[in-house]
Amino acid sequence: MTRSILQRLIQAVGVLLGVALLIFFMLRIVPGNPILTLMGEHADQATIDRMTAELGLDQPPLTQFIRYVAGAVRGDFGTSYTLGRPVSSLIGAAFGNTLKLAIMAALFAWIVGIVCGVIAAVKKNGIPDRIFMGLSLFGVSMPVFMVAMILQYVFAFYLHWLPISGGDNWKCYILPAIALGWNSAGSVSRLVRSTLIEILGEDYIDTARAKGRGRMGVIVLHALRNAMLPVVTMMAIQLSSLLSGAVITETIFSINGIGRLAVQAINGRDIPLLQGTALFSTFVVILGSLLADSLYGVLDPRTGKEA
Amino acid sequence: MKKVFGTITALALTASLLAGCGGASGNSTGSTAPAQGAAESTAAAAPAAVAAEDGLVRTAVLYDISTMDVAETSDNYLIPMNVFDRLFETRNVGGTAEVVKSLCEDYTVSEDGLTYDFTIKSGVVFSNGSELTASDVKYTFERLLRINHENTDIAREVVGGEALANGEADSLEGISVKDDTHLTVTLEKPNAGFLAELSSAAMGIVDAETMEKVSGFGKEPADTIGSGPYIVTEWVANDHYTLVYNDKYWGAEPSVKKLIVSIVPDANTQNLMFQNGELDLIDLQNLDSAIVQSSYAEAYKDQIVSTPKVGMTYLVLNNAHEYLKDVNVRKAIGMAINVDVLIDNLYSGNAVRENGIIPTGCWGHNDSLEGMKYDPAAAKELLAKSGYTDGQITFELALDSSANSTIQLVYESIRQSLNEIGIKAEVKSYDQSVWLDLRKSGEMDSFVARWGMDYNDPANIMATFFGGESQTKSRSINYPDTETMARVAAASSIVDDAERMTEYQNLEKKLIGEDAAWIPLYTELHQYCIGSRVASFTPQWAGFSDFYASDVVLK
Repeated sequence: MTRSILQRLIQAVGVLLGVALLIFFMLRIVPGNPILTLMGEHADQATIDRMTAELGLDQPPLTQFIRYVAGAVRGDFGTSYTLGRPVSSLIGAAFGNTLKLAIMAALFAWIVGIVCGVIAAVKKNGIPDRIFMGLSLFGVSMPVFMVAMILQYVFAFYLHWLPISGGDNWKCYILPAIALGWNSAGSVSRLVRSTLIEILGEDYIDTARAKGRGRMGVIVLHALRNAMLPVVTMMAIQLSSLLSGAVITETIFSINGIGRLAVQAINGRDIPLLQGTALFSTFVVILGSLLADSLYGVLDPRTGKEA
Repeated sequence: MKKVFGTITALALTASLLAGCGGASGNSTGSTAPAQGAAESTAAAAPAAVAAEDGLVRTAVLYDISTMDVAETSDNYLIPMNVFDRLFETRNVGGTAEVVKSLCEDYTVSEDGLTYDFTIKSGVVFSNGSELTASDVKYTFERLLRINHENTDIAREVVGGEALANGEADSLEGISVKDDTHLTVTLEKPNAGFLAELSSAAMGIVDAETMEKVSGFGKEPADTIGSGPYIVTEWVANDHYTLVYNDKYWGAEPSVKKLIVSIVPDANTQNLMFQNGELDLIDLQNLDSAIVQSSYAEAYKDQIVSTPKVGMTYLVLNNAHEYLKDVNVRKAIGMAINVDVLIDNLYSGNAVRENGIIPTGCWGHNDSLEGMKYDPAAAKELLAKSGYTDGQITFELALDSSANSTIQLVYESIRQSLNEIGIKAEVKSYDQSVWLDLRKSGEMDSFVARWGMDYNDPANIMATFFGGESQTKSRSINYPDTETMARVAAASSIVDDAERMTEYQNLEKKLIGEDAAWIPLYTELHQYCIGSRVASFTPQWAGFSDFYASDVVLK
């Protein structure tokens, strides 16, 4: 298991380098001059030329890339053109907010998704099943911005229960977390339901019942644990996706997170920030898939041994 | 199970380590300085949900600033305007823009318009207690030139400015400091708009003594010291920044003691926050015009204040384009666009039609210019006169994809208007950096853009667009008349105001009336809505959105 994780970590370094190379050269292939975007309407040609030289953008691309990688190895990802601050500190600060949002969204999605999925499976074709599956379809198909706006209007604007946006208070994260986790909750509940229904029909479930296990015991200890294998994979991928930034949710609720930073980088053609956020997101996704693999191995020891 | 716990713990630790990186470098992403003269602000507190308190005004912007230093930015002037003083300020006096003395106690100008003797107010101190002297004024000019990034154009007008900017001199020859309160500025050539230029946000006076000691000017609130009515106490990147009253300020004490500016990138969220009482002042230009009409025009009609956002929205037609080089085609295009309908339908009447180059609200604006009257039939006749048939003229209307939805509708409306007179214009959207690059190359066929005035002088727009070959090419105008452009460049040196205004008016008649060098469209009215805690607000005279916090009066 440890060896497997080490192998994956070594692979991850290669992936990160590849992604860095790809992003770096793609940003230089696309037409347009980032300095013009940075300096704005009022800058003259002399200023543009000076800034181009000062930012090293007049150097050959290979020289720029080598400098970038050398800096990145030392933790220096450059300075954001648009925010004028070190990219590493911007990502560090933003990740703290994204982490809070992602954890709350994931907890919401998983708790609601698993509970609804289990109830729907146990009451298959019953009224709770129809209600929860209807809701999950709603969750899967509703765009995040729509959920976010509805939550904002109802719970913040009309009822005044929660803040409309921003802030450091945990209350400020409730609505964004629900908006962000809504879609994931729908997916989790549907997957839990279908997997659980299949497992509840297995012979070993009948055996457990015949041994006198209570209904809840059979569902939780025997059926749900096995049903969790694909669900855990999905949850880990969801978590890594949430951690790599939620563009729409962070923008609507004014949360200074990784997603918003990435959008800002794209809009401002902010090359260092764009490279930094893209690399960071790749790192988080790799970490998420490692987590999924590790949990998979624990839940199904056969997988761990094979690995 | 232990393995699961172990894995989760490891990942959580990694995550917290990464998050810790941000915390450890908090000074670079959001730093605070001790507040003076007002309550200490709470770092990273929920700015959007800050409760109303005495003297506090809460507002929001869509984007964060990149720096507080005007030597590094020609945008984002809210902090420079409020934290620094200039020798002069352009203030909205009874609805008219006037250049008024600020740090300048008195001044005289030589007859040739080249030499200015300034007397600086005595007794003015920066917020750290350091005295403001004439040497600080000289240092401010020199600093802009030594950094040589942004806002160097005004300082370059001083004798020796170019040499200092190019590293060929150690100091600015054209400024001599006589004593703590007197200095003389000598210009390379006369500039009647020099005092107006000194009132631009870029010319805020910095403290030479402090600047030698600090390293974070423009980035760190504690290092960004000015003599203005406010001190910046906090800037949390991408979240909010806070200004508090400077109790060492020499001028009248403002009603607003604390200003919190939240970065709220979603316009609808700003709208909800204002209506929920979480903002005291909202810039309605941040919102979609449909929201303004549906939610504000009636419900808040007594709380809306507006002023011309001094600047010009114009249509450029590349004078070197195969078809657009024909003046009859350019005039026909001008006559095919119903600007009044654009203003009524897309801006709900909240814009002023423009007929020249100098916009409404700027010194030298000519109200009597007739402009191009909407007349599609006459436009078609003009095209026929030049021998063009229906559909023969084609060109591209290049749209910056970051333009707001209203501007996108302006493009569509222009396309339809041109279609009606038989001109096929194709709206093509470009990524902003590509759009800027294409425009700068001089090869963009046509586009709509807006120029916001930096200071109250016609040279700021006339010379920028028509002051010479490089200026007209870099904006894809490619106006060919070098003689007229030389007159535009020379006009700023005319010392006599009446003579200069006459020259600008003649130039407008030539550039627009005769040559249709560009098609003037409109000046938007800049609308703000004030909340129930605000008694009054006088929007700043300028082509940009930033304002003086002291112009807000609380109930």
